[in-house]
Amino acid sequence: MSDADAPRYFSRDLSWVEFNARVLEEALDEDVPLLERWKFLCIVASNFDEFFMVRVASLKRQIKKGTSGVDPSGLSPETQLSRIIARSKEIITAKYECLWNDILPRLEQEGIVWARTGAYSGSQRTFVRDFFNREIFPVLTPVRHEEPGALPVPGNNRLHIAFLLEPDEDSEMRRLGDYAAAEEGAAGPTPRQGPRTGQGEQEELLAVVQLPPALERIIYVPEQENRITFTLLEDAILENAQQLFPGYRINRQGCFRVTRDADLGVDEERDEDFVEAMEQVLESREYSDAVRLSVVEDGDRLSERLRRALGLDERDVYAKGSPLAMGDLMPLAHISGFDHLRDEHMPPMPPRDLSQEEGTSFWDTLKRRDVLLHQPYESFEPVVRLIQDAAGDPEVLSIKMTLYRTSGDSPIVGALEEAAENGKQVTVLLELKARFDEQRNIRWAEHLERVGVIVIYGIAQLKVHAKALMIVRRESEGVVRYVHLGTGNYNDKTAKLYSDFGVLTTREETAYELNLFFNAISGYSAIPALNRLALAPVGLKTRLLQLIDRERRRASPEAPGLIMAKVNSLSHPEIIDALYRASQAGVKVMLNVRGICMLVPGVPGLSENITVVSIVDRFLEHGRAFYFENGGAEEMYLSSADWMPRNLDRRVELMFPVESAALKRRLKHVFEVTFADNVKARVLQPDGSWERAAKGGRESEVRSQKVFYEEAKSYAQAGEPANRKEFSVRRKPL
Amino acid sequence: MSTTDQVSPPKTKTVAVIDMGSSAIRMVIAEIDDAGHWRRLDRAGKPVSLGRDVFVKGYLSGDAMRQAVKILTGFREMLEGWQIAEEDVRVIATSAIREAKNRDTFLDRVYLRTGFRIDVVEGVEENHLTYLAVQYAVDQMRAQFSRANSLIIEVGGGTTEVMMLRRGKMVAAHSLRLGTIRIEQQVKRSWESATDLETFLRENIRVTQEILNAEMKMESIRFFVAVGGDARLAAARVGRKEHSGFSVVDRKDFNELVARIQGYTLEEIVSELDVTYNEAEGLVPALLILKMFLDSTQATQLIVPDVSIREGVLLSFALGTSKEVEHEFYTQVVASAVNLGKKYRFDQQHAMQVRKLALSLFDQMQDDHGMDQHARMLLEVAAILHDIGNYIRASGHHKHSQYIIANSEIFGLSRSDISVVSHIARYHRKAQPNSSHTSFISLRREQRIRIMKLAAILRVADALDRGHHHRIKGFRLEKGEDVITLYCDYVGDISVEKHGLELKQEMFEETFGYQVVAM
Repeated sequence: MSDADAPRYFSRDLSWVEFNARVLEEALDEDVPLLERWKFLCIVASNFDEFFMVRVASLKRQIKKGTSGVDPSGLSPETQLSRIIARSKEIITAKYECLWNDILPRLEQEGIVWARTGAYSGSQRTFVRDFFNREIFPVLTPVRHEEPGALPVPGNNRLHIAFLLEPDEDSEMRRLGDYAAAEEGAAGPTPRQGPRTGQGEQEELLAVVQLPPALERIIYVPEQENRITFTLLEDAILENAQQLFPGYRINRQGCFRVTRDADLGVDEERDEDFVEAMEQVLESREYSDAVRLSVVEDGDRLSERLRRALGLDERDVYAKGSPLAMGDLMPLAHISGFDHLRDEHMPPMPPRDLSQEEGTSFWDTLKRRDVLLHQPYESFEPVVRLIQDAAGDPEVLSIKMTLYRTSGDSPIVGALEEAAENGKQVTVLLELKARFDEQRNIRWAEHLERVGVIVIYGIAQLKVHAKALMIVRRESEGVVRYVHLGTGNYNDKTAKLYSDFGVLTTREETAYELNLFFNAISGYSAIPALNRLALAPVGLKTRLLQLIDRERRRASPEAPGLIMAKVNSLSHPEIIDALYRASQAGVKVMLNVRGICMLVPGVPGLSENITVVSIVDRFLEHGRAFYFENGGAEEMYLSSADWMPRNLDRRVELMFPVESAALKRRLKHVFEVTFADNVKARVLQPDGSWERAAKGGRESEVRSQKVFYEEAKSYAQAGEPANRKEFSVRRKPL
Repeated sequence: MSTTDQVSPPKTKTVAVIDMGSSAIRMVIAEIDDAGHWRRLDRAGKPVSLGRDVFVKGYLSGDAMRQAVKILTGFREMLEGWQIAEEDVRVIATSAIREAKNRDTFLDRVYLRTGFRIDVVEGVEENHLTYLAVQYAVDQMRAQFSRANSLIIEVGGGTTEVMMLRRGKMVAAHSLRLGTIRIEQQVKRSWESATDLETFLRENIRVTQEILNAEMKMESIRFFVAVGGDARLAAARVGRKEHSGFSVVDRKDFNELVARIQGYTLEEIVSELDVTYNEAEGLVPALLILKMFLDSTQATQLIVPDVSIREGVLLSFALGTSKEVEHEFYTQVVASAVNLGKKYRFDQQHAMQVRKLALSLFDQMQDDHGMDQHARMLLEVAAILHDIGNYIRASGHHKHSQYIIANSEIFGLSRSDISVVSHIARYHRKAQPNSSHTSFISLRREQRIRIMKLAAILRVADALDRGHHHRIKGFRLEKGEDVITLYCDYVGDISVEKHGLELKQEMFEETFGYQVVAM
């Protein structure tokens, strides 16, 4: 077996931090257009936000509870935490260095300028003051903490500015300010008497103002043509802060932000009104334990005071780098003009398998063949259109689907409402536990219910992550079920940004089993035994293990076998062990893992036949596909599930076989191109580091996402019917 | 308009069957066409222990009733999604609800809360439905079945249904009060361990098998058909799916499986066999019962169809009017009746002669009696069995016939059918019904009228073979003003029969208003 010292698994969370490092690499890459680099910086920031709220918070909870024991990689929670913090700080430092030393100067050369407080020109200062008075001041609510050591309770991840104030005894303004505040009774500080007399100098007052979330972070300052000057909301406030505290002198000011534990579960026992319970969780999340304090100031007087008030360790303070909350700054990447600073536009193409013959309906095409949608190279629009068509189609009896992180103004939600109003039975499983989108979900859940949709608020203890849609249509030859099974959410916006797979089919056995799945998640039926589909948490993992093991058993020196898999994350020890065993039997295992990978590849005696590559490019790699050579009788599966304990053991997920030979060939090609990528692929090393795939000359460059797009485009152009004689008019059937 | 040679697709409709069993409520939704083909579209099922309380205390518990209503409410929503018309839904309930003392309360509550009207089927009817489903599933083996003896068995929570077929013909159908839930309760009270369970079952089944042996030797059975969830579970583990409608399990593999799981705890069954708790419960007793029946046959394998009573109901929906199945069913009912007759050593030739004459009279008098094919079948069975009371004693044998029939099971006949048949046999001679005959008086009016008419016909037919010489081959009926004349085709002397007719025609005359004369 392997070297006794080498770990059998990588640490899950450290592996995640390395993923975020790969995202940062994209921001550092000079071949990437400038505004795209900006975008990657923002993504690194928002990725960390979620990571701290969930994973770091969880480690801290373990440490607090005194949980002993180690994770699969052999590290204690304390060791994991300290390594995570150290590595994260490195990455965050590199991020700000990149921003200040590289991106901002280059942006300035291109005519995109960040005007900062203290560095405004005269006209800029006037504009900002007017803007402040008109737009910002009326919605600010400064809160002053008179008691020394008083605890400010800043909400989770909300950007704040803190001030250390000192009464300005000579100021007339102070008394005037008092009157003004008393009369208005609203905005402005509420200084009654200052601090106890005689303690004046040492006892600075802490005042905190939250940046109104309703206002845009980026404020565009009028400029001459072809140039963009922007300033940030906090710049405008800092610049005019004195107006907030008449009668006080501001000794110190700085931005800060507190990240809190977001992993509070809903009380699952409270089934009777799950929505209400959910709302309470959202509220309490705002004020749960703090896990990180990010500060921008000169020196550390503010941060020390805040840190102590929040009960954080020194290592929990992130004080190097401005601006904070860069995740909010993404919109700058979309400013109009400046297309030369962005990736070339890649509008999704009409799907290859749907290039339909003139005059045939969508329904007919689907009855004839299975369709693969490879988003975002191919358009997700057909799925939306399918639901829209179904909504008005008199032959449609019912529509069932899962909705998880769907956008609020989604055309899908609109179509479902229309369908319900047209008397179709519409059943929607709305997953309220999609971690950061609950608030939005609750709103349409209630709306959907009002129009007669049967809304299921998830399943107790299990998050429903499967992506499935079924439309039941009564046709003259009998009932036909149109099914869409996918790896991505039913979200028309992310469908343009995430790379995902979806299959449309009318296959009887698949549709029948999917119907049983819906019966189970609708509470009509106990969990059914399934043959074609595999369902987590009941049979999916077992099926996967069987498939991996079958490959192992079939392996021989002449035909060693091949497993290819594409997942976002690989962290399930049982799956990893099965892959190790397959490797040891000689099976070639090729993995495309975008994020966390706990499997250690390339270790002689353990995993020498396993390679792992990660692709981080403009589209977020999100599809899950599994290929087994199976002695020549190849099998291909798609799934909503990653190979993680949470997906396989604690979520409702689906895996389904791709049965059409043509679709299998297409997916196999996707794997081939992915593993040939030598531009955006990084290869995982036995020591846990990632290295770029060896690049040849320019001609031999393979950038998989680009290849997929070019292919989609050439098929779409070839498939365009020439010389139309007639329009194929789409009308509602009478 | 031009003529088209377009073949219109068969007309389909979507139907649903809900089955309220002793441990679960299940639904199947299927599309059937007028040619009798069906396609399963959807199914659902949830566990609820309706049987547990009934088999112990005799009552459905409030909790079980609430759960049942909740499950049915969900099914109602599913039916709305499929837009299935009310007349295309059939809800059946078997032993648990059948035996519940508070069943009427339950049926009423279900109707008020969910709109479902539950049809409580009887054991023998269950047999019929299961038989339909099995026949459909093992259709490919029909030829083999017709050449050898077979047994169809389904172990349920409350009852075990057994059917025996000799060369494809039904010889016996029984609904035994032996079910997994019932056993569990009985064993819990008196025994402790797994071996005790086996002893208990062996004793129980030995007695049963003696009865079955009298009808057909168990060791002559070649095909062993096991229906039900427990059998399917075994088939999924150790069987082979070689055919579209059923699986096959080798006897050796089956016995090994039973031996293996016999000592398991419930938890071990769940984890070792990868089944739910609900499926695991009752698995051991069910498989043990199957094994004990299997042991006394010469079958080398179990045939496990992919169907249940629900598919039987679907088929009765689909094929309700199909001539082929009706005929098949009819044949099996008659075969079952003949076998019962043999068991009681009846005079088969006389029975067949009376049957033929009675049916001929029934058919030729269609306009006068206005009864349906079902009544004709009851007459046929009564004609076959009218004399079996002779087995006990010739004197008053009509009463003995009534007693034997009333306490027998005949494939395809419900309890109420059996009751009608037993009364027809009772009134084939001697006293006509009168107000002192309490069992007759307690029947519903339509039943009483039906019995009167059919018994009157049977008396005439019996008289026409009074000498047991089978001399009358047939007759042509001619109706006069108030006389019916039967022009007989006969050999030899039929004066005995003519005389008999004079003696036995009183009831006929009173019932139909005609005198009967044979020529």
